[in-house]
Amino acid sequence: MTATPKAQAREPQDTRSSVSIALSAWNALFLREAVSRVSAGRAAWLWLLVEPAAHLTILMVLFSTIRHRIMPGFDFALFLAIGVLGYNLFRHSALRSMAAIAANRALFTYRQVKPVDVVLARAFLEGVIQLFVGLIMLAGMSLVGFAELPNDPLTVMLVYTLFWLFGTGVGLMLSVGSTLIPEVGRVANLCFIPLYFLSGVLFSPAMLPPEPRYWLLLNPIAQGLELARAAFSPGYNGVTGLDLGYLTAFAVGSIFFGLALHVRFSRRLLMQ
Amino acid sequence: MIVVEDVHKRYQTEHGAGKWVLQGVSLTIQPKVSVGLVGRNGAGKSTLLRLIGGVDIPTRGKIDRYCRVSWPMGFGGGLQGSLTGRQNAKFVSRIHGHEVDIPDRLAYVADFSELGDAFDQPVKTYSSGMRSRLQFALSLAFDFDVYISDEVTAAGDASFRAKAAAAFKNMADRAGLIMVSHSEGTLRQFCSAGIWLHNGRALWFDSIDEALKAYKESIGAC
Repeated sequence: MTATPKAQAREPQDTRSSVSIALSAWNALFLREAVSRVSAGRAAWLWLLVEPAAHLTILMVLFSTIRHRIMPGFDFALFLAIGVLGYNLFRHSALRSMAAIAANRALFTYRQVKPVDVVLARAFLEGVIQLFVGLIMLAGMSLVGFAELPNDPLTVMLVYTLFWLFGTGVGLMLSVGSTLIPEVGRVANLCFIPLYFLSGVLFSPAMLPPEPRYWLLLNPIAQGLELARAAFSPGYNGVTGLDLGYLTAFAVGSIFFGLALHVRFSRRLLMQ
Repeated sequence: MIVVEDVHKRYQTEHGAGKWVLQGVSLTIQPKVSVGLVGRNGAGKSTLLRLIGGVDIPTRGKIDRYCRVSWPMGFGGGLQGSLTGRQNAKFVSRIHGHEVDIPDRLAYVADFSELGDAFDQPVKTYSSGMRSRLQFALSLAFDFDVYISDEVTAAGDASFRAKAAAAFKNMADRAGLIMVSHSEGTLRQFCSAGIWLHNGRALWFDSIDEALKAYKESIGAC
């Protein structure tokens, strides 16, 4: 053991605490991600809005004019919007965070920046972006008369926050997985397509026979979407008897497990 | 002061653990010493710099930094191509806790790097000399006790190298430098002491000339 050299005693303000280093790294990473996300290419910010709006318009055309689907006690456009926005929030948080380590490898040159920092910064930015996208979409829809204000806004906000946290947790896990085993990333990207249909974005699980409904409701996102719809409109005829605990457990569990993976593989993540 | 204690390092490869790159490196780098690392390609020079810079973790052994150490300035690392030089400089200021005096740091970087209008262009449009000027100016914008340079000074043109060397001479009484370069001239210009990395071990020389001599003799002997 070497004795600590006392010549190195510095004024306290010279050394920063771990917390303040992490905070300044998060601040810097968040701003940096935001700049590259919003200014990458021509009118990148516009595409953030156009993509979900186009998605929703296509679904609307498909379902309301071709299939004449009617949802008793609920505006179908709003029904779809809740599903698409919720699912997108989850998917973007998970997939953008998953890609964070590979995209920011150059920054690990600075020892203040660790893999978990870039993942968390991206997940946070994605939450902020999707919040604005959602607010603008709903405001736009209510201007043209498609949507009204939610009946129980707190529950709606809570469900969406849980979607974002769950997406962050999945992103934390996938970021480790896809860095250590590249195939994990490819498979994860594929899995989000069937998950879209299994999450009840386009239909309510209540329309299904009991057995498939039981299986579908094992998916926490399907449960969350039903809860959000019920909170939006008291007249909604969806699945009853759900509570937020299931989705909360998934959100908290995935974040815990994701952070644990980052701790366990911190050395391997830096080395790749 | 930086204390490197019995550091071993090997990398994980696709076929399990790789060869040992460093095998028991022990060094004490005193404050305000400028030291050059010499050794063959693959001798572990960049690896040792990355370990000292805290970018990577030794497989065995430990490294204590009793001072503020810069990041290893080197090819490619640390700059984001799609962002401008100014945006990159802001980012580096922020992670080093200089959120409040960003304008001062930016002014210094813009002035020292002599990039002119290119400072507001994306870094991916830079030549390698311009990139290394930006990296070098960036690190000088902060008060480190030890600066780590991985070949970065060699990429600038002659006038920039002279300017960088002068900047280091000016602060020789407060800061040290650890550098890797394959150019003997650069090493002699910047460094007084030398470390020769050979067969996974490190040998310290108080004079860079002796380190270079030992290194050259080893090549001749092989």
